[in-house]
Amino acid sequence: MNDPDPRTLERARRGDAGAFEDLVRAYQGDVWRFAYHFTRDRALADDVTQEAFLRAYRFLKGFRGDSRFTSWLFRIARNCAMDQIRARNVYVERVTPISGTVADPQARVELQEALGAVSAEHREPFLLVEVFGLSYQEAADVLGVRVGTIKSRMHRARKAMMEALEIEEDAR
Amino acid sequence: MNHEQAERLLSARLDGERLSSRAVAALDRHLETCAECRAFERGAYRLRESARIELAPAVPDLVEPIMAAVRTEPRQVTRLRDFRPRRTRRLMPRLAPVAAALLVGAIAGSLVVGGPWQRDGGSALAASDVTEGIAAAAVHLDAYQATFAIRETHLSPEVPVRDLTMSVWFEEPERFRLDVTDHTDYPTPATPTDLRLVVDDSTWYASGPAPCGTARCPLRESAVRNRLPFSTAAPLPADLILPVSTLTDPDRVTVLGRGTVLGRSAVRVEVPFERARPLFPFLQIGGSWRPFFPSDRVRIWLDERSWFPLRWEVFPASGTERDQWALRFGLPEEPATRPVFSVTALDVGLRDPDPQVFEIPAVAGATDQGARPVPLAQVEREAGFVPVAPASVAGLDLYRVVLPREDPGSTVVAYADGLAFLTLGETRTWMGDAPFGPVGVQAEEITLPGGGIAYYEPASNEHGRRLSIHGAGTELSIESNLSRDELLAAAASLPVEGLPMPDAWRVRGSGGAVVERVTLAQARDAASFPIVLPLSLPQGFGLASVELVAAGNDVGVTLYFRDRDADAGIGTIRLHLEPANSLPAASSADQSTVDVGGLPLPGRFTPERSQLEWIDTGIYRSLDAPGLSLEPLLAVARSIPSGAEASVA
Repeated sequence: MNDPDPRTLERARRGDAGAFEDLVRAYQGDVWRFAYHFTRDRALADDVTQEAFLRAYRFLKGFRGDSRFTSWLFRIARNCAMDQIRARNVYVERVTPISGTVADPQARVELQEALGAVSAEHREPFLLVEVFGLSYQEAADVLGVRVGTIKSRMHRARKAMMEALEIEEDAR
Repeated sequence: MNHEQAERLLSARLDGERLSSRAVAALDRHLETCAECRAFERGAYRLRESARIELAPAVPDLVEPIMAAVRTEPRQVTRLRDFRPRRTRRLMPRLAPVAAALLVGAIAGSLVVGGPWQRDGGSALAASDVTEGIAAAAVHLDAYQATFAIRETHLSPEVPVRDLTMSVWFEEPERFRLDVTDHTDYPTPATPTDLRLVVDDSTWYASGPAPCGTARCPLRESAVRNRLPFSTAAPLPADLILPVSTLTDPDRVTVLGRGTVLGRSAVRVEVPFERARPLFPFLQIGGSWRPFFPSDRVRIWLDERSWFPLRWEVFPASGTERDQWALRFGLPEEPATRPVFSVTALDVGLRDPDPQVFEIPAVAGATDQGARPVPLAQVEREAGFVPVAPASVAGLDLYRVVLPREDPGSTVVAYADGLAFLTLGETRTWMGDAPFGPVGVQAEEITLPGGGIAYYEPASNEHGRRLSIHGAGTELSIESNLSRDELLAAAASLPVEGLPMPDAWRVRGSGGAVVERVTLAQARDAASFPIVLPLSLPQGFGLASVELVAAGNDVGVTLYFRDRDADAGIGTIRLHLEPANSLPAASSADQSTVDVGGLPLPGRFTPERSQLEWIDTGIYRSLDAPGLSLEPLLAVARSIPSGAEASVA
């Protein structure tokens, strides 16, 4: 996932609403998907996405570029998701089929089930790295853990997901 | 190293993490002997594929509610007056359907094709809807990013399947990057087909291994600096983004039906591989790839709103000719119902690429195209004249003006919007003996709407559609990826009246003969025999030009037939007629006798020249076309009325 054009970011930092809108357009899809996979609930994902961008707007002035913008944004989104979940006192672990958009719902359900089969601790780095393309360092920034932890969780997440999906490659 | 350690390293390597050279060496040694870990690696790639394909639900567009909430925030807004809206903002209203489909964070999602099908029924979509939709979308596109999965079969018996990924970035008008990454697990040491092509306005860069089969191949790099705008010698392969070259002529596009791809309405069209080559630019950049037969069928799924290609697959053509071709290449049996090559979008979006994406490494020995950009206001001082400007350029914006260093008395003015472009070259000091620009003396003569003459050549692998105009005191050369009609309309809006070719270009000597470009009526007056035209030509072909060939007392006639839209490999079909009662002496060891049909004497076929020769009622006829094999040549030949019929007629 690419960071935004530094000029756009700088304009947004200085309070330019148009530039901020560009950032929303560019990243709302990734933030929403991350929120959705985190919460497993479309309505909750909508709320998390909106809240995350609102917080980003408030705190953007304080963003110093110590980490990548995308890592920073995901960290905010994750915090928002945790807050929403705590507020509603639910952790949505059920599989929520997504209606109307998938030609092969079975494949998607299986994958969602496989994601459900791994712990949140392993699911989060898997989503960040495998689906959203973050580096280990960026995923570590988002989750507040060490790079080595990401490395070992990625390996375990893969093993668990492959087992859950019954991906068996012949040992040729 | 144990399995656990090896798998952790494999997992990190898969994620692009840098490993020490010692770790890499130890891992590779372990993999050589550990089938279990190799299986883990393959499984991890499969997991990646399914995760990236399946893990993206449709994303809602939340810009409005978010921005509404932002606007109520008390945060101090500063320097708003400095803000200039970006072009994407300007284009948003025009792009509404596209934006709804794509801006919201892309359409990463299921690409399992299925859903309700419609064939020849329901709300049918015409081929012209597709071609016009693509042309309209092309001028609306500011930025684009996408990732595709490529699956190739039958590269060689040892490598029956290859999996690659391709990433594409674009920012209008001329920033582009294409990366191909090869994930194939080769059974023997081989250089992966990892390719890169980067265009950044006036610089161009390509790298990849030389095509040397599945072996260790040397890496090649090439670069161009001071590139001419939209240089087709250093091209930007726009069709990956929108098939602007592949799908321009509705007569050549077959709409197969509609369905759902990525959960979106999509339309499926089919074109032969020879017309779809621009969708496979990676084949030219480097590496080794399987061969394709010109009439293999390429089926393309297009997003019905944005017209982005979402998936395209090559299905083998059927017939003995293809079977023989496949034998020559050592290909196994390939059923016509199973794709042999597929490109599948994993993620497509309109997001602005990171500017660093287009950075080009320094390459020693870059080719210098010698284009020197100048502000429009300075052109007169530098070039000695003010270039003419068309009154309308299909709505494109003025993009760049350059002076080619090798030709100081000429200018190139480029117009662009999105993926569409038009370049207008002009010189006032043309000394050549043929039309100015990449247009030959056998080009089709066209009377432009509103008068004036231009010489036209169709799009080819090397060039876009182009025109040359010979005006009083000026020569113009226009090249574009706009449709033929739009190109002609732009040319018609120029304040220059095109004149017929001067005699110095029209008449030339060739091997003791005098060749003169004439009209068909002039040729009929001059020739002592009836000039008959084929009744059947490949679709889209028409008569482009006619030449009289005078040698001694004999006068022959040569007719040139060209594709009006795009030359997809057939080239020019040439029919030469002259009085004779027998074929010339054999000129190749590989000639064979063929029956052209209904004639007392057999004809002759020369494969190396794709040439068919025969005698009909005292007239020698020779028909050739670089891209036609015997069967289609015979079909054209047999459609030419016999001289006897023509005399009666």
